[in-house]
Amino acid sequence: MVQAAKIQVRQETFDAGVEQRLLLAGRSDIGAVVSFTGLVRDFNEHPDVTALTLEHYPGMTESALGEIVTEAEARWPLQGVRVIHRVGRMTPGDPIVLVVVASAHRRAAFEACDFIMDYLKTRAPFWKKEHSVSGDYWVAERDSDHQDASRWESDDDSSL
Amino acid sequence: MTLTHLNQRGEAHMVDVADKPESRREASASGYIQMKPETLALLSEGGLPKGDVLATARIAGIQAAKRTHELIPLCHALALSKVSIEFRLDEAESRVEVNAACRLNGRTGVEMEALTAVSVACLTLYDMCKAVDKDMEIGGIHLDTKTGGKSGDYRRDMTSHRDMTAAPAPIVTGEGVAGQVSVGTRCDIEDPCLRVKFLAELREQLGTSELSLPLDSLASADVGGLKAALVQQDKRFARLSEGRVLCAVNQVMALDTTPITNEDEIAFFPPVTGG
Repeated sequence: MVQAAKIQVRQETFDAGVEQRLLLAGRSDIGAVVSFTGLVRDFNEHPDVTALTLEHYPGMTESALGEIVTEAEARWPLQGVRVIHRVGRMTPGDPIVLVVVASAHRRAAFEACDFIMDYLKTRAPFWKKEHSVSGDYWVAERDSDHQDASRWESDDDSSL
Repeated sequence: MTLTHLNQRGEAHMVDVADKPESRREASASGYIQMKPETLALLSEGGLPKGDVLATARIAGIQAAKRTHELIPLCHALALSKVSIEFRLDEAESRVEVNAACRLNGRTGVEMEALTAVSVACLTLYDMCKAVDKDMEIGGIHLDTKTGGKSGDYRRDMTSHRDMTAAPAPIVTGEGVAGQVSVGTRCDIEDPCLRVKFLAELREQLGTSELSLPLDSLASADVGGLKAALVQQDKRFARLSEGRVLCAVNQVMALDTTPITNEDEIAFFPPVTGG
């Protein structure tokens, strides 16, 4: 039932240091840990972004993140994964998403963390609405995110 | 406003529901059990003497929902069609959050079942962990949502209860967006129906978050057929076939040819932009 804590979709903020320590607590078999934190920027499609609201599809969000993590665990020998994605209203500088990946060796940890973020951005049902001084708007998808995600789809054709 | 469980003389009585129409009823409730960080760590590692704590508490909650009428004097015995119990380990608050959802097609609401499920799941968590922590505290048990029935839909106002935590994983929307009300007709049990959701920007463009319609109103029982039936109902749904609109059937990504059956949940949404 460690699964329950591995993936979290929540409104509250997180502390990347605390999460990493929890993941590593009592473990001496882990040789590398890579952590990625995504933050709210004060500029994006418009300048002067004052806040961001993240919406999601409860239920599907958790299962989509679960599938991404399961796929990462199938591709790399991982010894621990933690994914936290916040929803609700956030302001510039706030952390949005955390991915922590632990493995025996660094290459697997770097690559799996990169992979999880690329798939999260293109497959998990989250939507961003930005509030800026010139009004509110929904963020559009980016081709570059799809190109990034397609890097991981090689010969063994993955299902979409 | 009157108390329906009291008769004209103020005595307790069971409400006669024989003449109420059947409809789909759903309710979700949540609560939490606070514990020491060490207890929570043991729980998540499966290191507690009584074994798999969450699996046991889940079964206890489900059983409790089914037997609510045996515990609460004036509750009817209900044939629930679904009970689900979710746990969230909150390390920051050092607590386990418990969320229960119940559903049935019937004549009475299922909020007592959802509340009972949360309560008994919390009690079971206490029982399973008490060997290592007797200071645990159960709290914040409340109804989150209730849909169906004469009294209308209820959704707990999260903003006025911020301090009570235990968020029921809401669909979070922007400020001033009336995206959380359910519109459209709810089907009666005689014609079981599809539940259709519209999310994020699509919801705002369509001005609708959720509707239901009978499966037999579709020319073909698939996503394409549903789109056609919706367009027939209202032209604005033509948007579902324009640009990039994604679809999920029962929370799994789907195409126009994906078959759908009664009771399915179909969601339409724009391309995702998380991370």
